[in-house]
Amino acid sequence: MSGGPSVTLKSQPIDGSNSGNAAAQQQQQSANGAASSANQGQGGNTNGSAGVSGGAPAQEGTRQNSLQRIQQRKQKVFNLPLPQKVAKLSMYSACQAEGCRCTGWKTPQENRHRDVESSYCPEFNEECRNSSCRHSLRTHIAHLDNITSSSMDELLGAIIDMENLFMSMQRVEDEDTKKVYLYLFRLLRQCVLTRQQAVIRGPLGDPPFESPCITKAVLSLVFYKYQHLNPTELQTMTEVAKTFLNFLNHYNFESPSTRRGELAHEDASNYKINYTRWLVFCHVPAFCNSLRQFETSLVFGRTLLRTVFQYMSQQLKKKCISERDRFPEDKRSIITQMPKFLEALRAELLKDDSPIWDPNYRPPNSFVIQQRKRNQEAAAPPAPGGGAAAIGSNKRSSVGEPLHKRPKKETLERPISENLDDLPTDVVMRAMKSVSESKTTNKSEILFPVNVSRDENVKAEEQKRAIEFHVVGNSLTKPVDKQTILWLFGLQLVFAYQLPEMPREYISQLVFDTKHKTLALIKESQPIGGICFRPFPSQGFTEIVFCAVTMAEQVKGYGTHLMNHLKDYSIQRGIKHLLTFADCDAIGYFKKQGFSKDIKLARPVYAGYIKEYDSATLMHCELHPTIVNTQFIAVIRNQSEILKELIAQRHNEVQKVRAGLTCFKEGVRSIPVESIPGLMEIGWKPQMRPARSARPLEESSDPEKLATSFASVLQSVRQHTTAWPFLRPVTAAEVPDYYDHIKYPMDLKTMGERLKKGYYQTRRLFMADMARIFSNCRFYNSPETEYYRCANSLERYFQTKMRELGLWDK
Amino acid sequence: MPLTAESAAQQIQDRLKDIQQQIHIVDEERRRAENSISTLVRSLQTNNAKVKPLLKASMLETSQEEATIRAALAKIHEIRSIRNERRIQARNAGNKEAIRRGALMKMVQLSAQTLPLFVSKPGERAPALCGAIPAEGNYVAKVGDNVAALAKGIDEEENWILAEVVQFLHRQNKYDVIDIDEEQKDRHVLSKRKVIPLPLMRANPETDGHALFPKDTVVMALYPQTTCFYKAIVHRLPATATEEYDVLFEDSSYMNGYAEPLPVAQRYVIAYRPTKKGAGSGSGNLSSA
Repeated sequence: MSGGPSVTLKSQPIDGSNSGNAAAQQQQQSANGAASSANQGQGGNTNGSAGVSGGAPAQEGTRQNSLQRIQQRKQKVFNLPLPQKVAKLSMYSACQAEGCRCTGWKTPQENRHRDVESSYCPEFNEECRNSSCRHSLRTHIAHLDNITSSSMDELLGAIIDMENLFMSMQRVEDEDTKKVYLYLFRLLRQCVLTRQQAVIRGPLGDPPFESPCITKAVLSLVFYKYQHLNPTELQTMTEVAKTFLNFLNHYNFESPSTRRGELAHEDASNYKINYTRWLVFCHVPAFCNSLRQFETSLVFGRTLLRTVFQYMSQQLKKKCISERDRFPEDKRSIITQMPKFLEALRAELLKDDSPIWDPNYRPPNSFVIQQRKRNQEAAAPPAPGGGAAAIGSNKRSSVGEPLHKRPKKETLERPISENLDDLPTDVVMRAMKSVSESKTTNKSEILFPVNVSRDENVKAEEQKRAIEFHVVGNSLTKPVDKQTILWLFGLQLVFAYQLPEMPREYISQLVFDTKHKTLALIKESQPIGGICFRPFPSQGFTEIVFCAVTMAEQVKGYGTHLMNHLKDYSIQRGIKHLLTFADCDAIGYFKKQGFSKDIKLARPVYAGYIKEYDSATLMHCELHPTIVNTQFIAVIRNQSEILKELIAQRHNEVQKVRAGLTCFKEGVRSIPVESIPGLMEIGWKPQMRPARSARPLEESSDPEKLATSFASVLQSVRQHTTAWPFLRPVTAAEVPDYYDHIKYPMDLKTMGERLKKGYYQTRRLFMADMARIFSNCRFYNSPETEYYRCANSLERYFQTKMRELGLWDK
Repeated sequence: MPLTAESAAQQIQDRLKDIQQQIHIVDEERRRAENSISTLVRSLQTNNAKVKPLLKASMLETSQEEATIRAALAKIHEIRSIRNERRIQARNAGNKEAIRRGALMKMVQLSAQTLPLFVSKPGERAPALCGAIPAEGNYVAKVGDNVAALAKGIDEEENWILAEVVQFLHRQNKYDVIDIDEEQKDRHVLSKRKVIPLPLMRANPETDGHALFPKDTVVMALYPQTTCFYKAIVHRLPATATEEYDVLFEDSSYMNGYAEPLPVAQRYVIAYRPTKKGAGSGSGNLSSA
């Protein structure tokens, strides 16, 4: 690609006077071809492990070429002599002359055809063409004097991205897309002008937009559907899943206007929002790396995938067929398994209660760890498939780009895909071992019997076959064996004795009714308890009619275990709701079994089906399809014990007495939490989500709203006339002894960065940092200084601003 | 002296070790005794003259074995007292552990199964409060002992409940008892005649059949999985020390007025004592109270 056109773009996008330079046009076309989504189903690029070569080579080539060209152009600009770089910058830098509103130096008329990116270098005293400015080039760059070369390159990169965006904007036809490009263009322009990091704010929201993200759900699907397969097959399915994700990440979404016809109104507007998000956060940043890029599969969830799945999976299938022959022998299985995988994913996508989209669903730790290990192993050797494969999705930034450029990106690559804060397996194993050991040497048991769980003894009996559970029922069409009839008689007796209020005939009638079944608890071949129920499969619920355990066997946990068996039995038959009319003595029992008087089912679902009783309370229990109820108590107990053990272990590790904080004695009013020694060591992290305990009256529960308020306050404070001492961190060069006195420096720039990172989750954090600016200032400076007065006056201004937004206490 | 949980656990641990040793010793002694007995039997068949010394040796061995078993039983008794003492202390200290019903019932059952076993020596009679033998007239139950107490529940209805003695108020000749079931109103002060001490020992049916209630005796028995005593008739006696009575509880919902036989441990079967309510219901003349 070294023979690419020399880049000589010198358009002046603001006034739109495109020079029409042919080389620039050519460059822009290719950039545009990539940036404006090209309307081709490209993608399916490999991430290095799956070894799927990307889209048709021609298309992929175009994409890679454009990326490379952009990179090359940037590199070239970065390598220009300093005066030329500065000149380039000056074109997008506001004139520093007092009162001048010029936003960029304009080349004098006679030199308009020349390009600073090639050989042209204007003199620093040349005047700006802008008639209202007429100031020299130097005045446009006065503020850039002590800029580091890396931040200069950063600005230049943003300028190039901006120019590319402008060209793309000119070419793209879709109106929605055009608007987005224009928005991003303006944003970048503003950023270059103010020398700030580009951050996208506004109604689009911040990524991730949905939880769980597609990556997580797809990996859950692999576990959910294919865990039973042998390791090789499982590995194949994992690779199929990754290929799919990769395809998605490189997929060019259709513009909302082309899809308007096929989507329902609500879907269409949702799609438009998601499409815009995709453009802004995923697609454009791929070409404009001054914008932060997110992986489509990590920030979007089910909503987006639902709207695009059909068309996208068709494309993927087509591609699988067309690429079949290019695949290495050992990777063919990925192609053959793809349709099966897509079908499974489609089914889970349509199901409303699919577990893989449940935010709480998580494959077991061991599975995740295994997958992670495989990832690492797979990433280590050079990816097969030649050069094309080497440009994996997460390696894009390394193509000819200076590494320092994207220090943030590395941490952003996989922000939510894996639970990186999980404990290592061996720690968990150790805890589990010590839990099981302590069980055998439990001292307290010697004194008092342990409070074993309600169903533990029962489960032990069941294991020894001392008790059995059977679902029995009468039938008129099939012969009923003698044992069943005997048990039904026994159950009828149990119910009759335990439920004296019920007429005996009524009990007999229902127990022997063919639509009713009874879960019988058999001990020494006698029924000693049971639950008579009637399933309504069409309505998705089961009615519990009678439930009793014979008097002498009560309070042994049989009732709990019976109900758990009934729950598992129902779940296996796809029934998710249990309903019962409980009399006042039974309400306690049903409550213990997870029933509630709060009926979550719509009345039409059960009215007319269930037998209604006077002076009884309708109770409802919703069943979770992935819980095995007969194991539930044991599992929960075990988890809680392991957790306790882990806490105890951690406690032993970190137990340490520290010298107390002295900064408060020094007059500091408050300090950031993370500066408290030891907190970070024990794993404390700044909260990225609002604390659950946030008082709703005091704190806005919506962090987005809060962030917007803070941004406006911060903006106002920054622009205040007394803000100048606090705009940037105090450097030791300026004030050599500053850091001897000030341990926790703070300034408005740092606050802006923290705000962007989402650090200010509560009002308190924001106020604390602001207060620190002023207290530091008053601590270091004496009261008669200008600085001291600035602090006082800005503090008052800050409080006024906060009060205006209702964010101040008094 | 305060008995801490740790020291109690340690003491119990020591005794458990002793018991384990004794079990091994018993095993050995029994094997030896069985050997001697078979030698004895053989020599009897062969009409050998040396029977008498053999017999003496056998008897010695047997009494040794008996002593070891009794020592082990005594250790079990000790463990019970330690646990009991610890429990009383914990209660007095105010740490009333919340115990679930199921666990409570399990404890009620366990304490009956581990009640010390009385095995009489030849010619010895079972003492008071062993099996069916009632307490002496002037007997006062000790602190921590379990009793059946005729107490009024929340609904003002009198029932024989399972209770534990907190103290005996000598001046008033009344018991201060606590309901075993924590869900109930816990404290009761009751006159002595409303309190029946429960047996402190199990009778061994194989040696002390006289200390068991005969079949068809009208008794009061703890209904399984509850903490109340109800009127019942002895249906079947335990045949070994670990077996329980089978009793027929009065139950009007059954045709013949009695429920199916249910098992009740020796500890929870006591002599019937008519109450005002129960007196009218025509108790049998079999009452041994």
